[in-house]
Amino acid sequence: MGNRVPIGKLAGGLGASYSCDRMSGFSRRSFLRASCLAFFALAVRRLAGLEQPRPLDDVPWKVQQVLKQLFGDRPVQAGHVQLDVPTVAADGRVVPVMIESDLPMAADRYVKAVHLLVDNNPDIHLAEFRLTPQIGQAFISTRIKMRMTSPVRAIVETSDGALWGAAADVRVTVNGCG
Amino acid sequence: MTLEVGAARVLIPTGIRRGDVIDVRALVEHPMATGLFRDPEGKPIPAYFINDVIVTYGDQEAAHFAWSSGVSRDPFVEFSLRADREAELKFVWRDNRGGVFAQTADIKFVT
Repeated sequence: MGNRVPIGKLAGGLGASYSCDRMSGFSRRSFLRASCLAFFALAVRRLAGLEQPRPLDDVPWKVQQVLKQLFGDRPVQAGHVQLDVPTVAADGRVVPVMIESDLPMAADRYVKAVHLLVDNNPDIHLAEFRLTPQIGQAFISTRIKMRMTSPVRAIVETSDGALWGAAADVRVTVNGCG
Repeated sequence: MTLEVGAARVLIPTGIRRGDVIDVRALVEHPMATGLFRDPEGKPIPAYFINDVIVTYGDQEAAHFAWSSGVSRDPFVEFSLRADREAELKFVWRDNRGGVFAQTADIKFVT
């Protein structure tokens, strides 16, 4: 009987701690205001980040190794390549990819190869499309598998050895690689 | 799931004129197993995928693709081709177990 607390007193205490703004010093209103501000600050930062295309020199070490193996020390420049991928891929087993380049396909100077790389896949160098001037326009469309959210890179190699690239982030919800 | 491995289609547009840059679409039915998945009994499914595609136009090689198992099941590819002569367009797909699949399309000009 001694440790029994009257119901009225307990409820009163709870009620007070929930509703009293002046006593806590950190009211619900100020908390909401602060969290709203924080949310907007984060949203603005995220939007600002999305507007810029992904920088090409932001390359993880494992991808740098693959690039080194493929192209040696030749630098990959940004531009001349348009990479079309979905921002969010519902199914990682089928992600449509479209690569297009405005580089000429003339007999003396043409796009020799189009490379497709996915940073977070087991096999980073996913595909290589070797072309000839017979291909009137450097354009490739295919469907790929992605294990998880990852940058996708398209690198175009011209017959004179120049490298042009583009990259985009794809968010993946279903693992397509096992 | 029924799957006839190697059944292939090559699609070219109709009404091609000399010198047109046409869209060529090709699809071959193939499981493209990565070797990383397991079947419902827990046994690993061995890798089985197409790793080499050769496109010949007439007697010349027009394109040559090297794929990993990262290309989706029933691999599809679309690309351009400058149709400057009437000839046969031939696709040959090879997989990592020695399977060879071929399909052709005739490029003919409208008069």
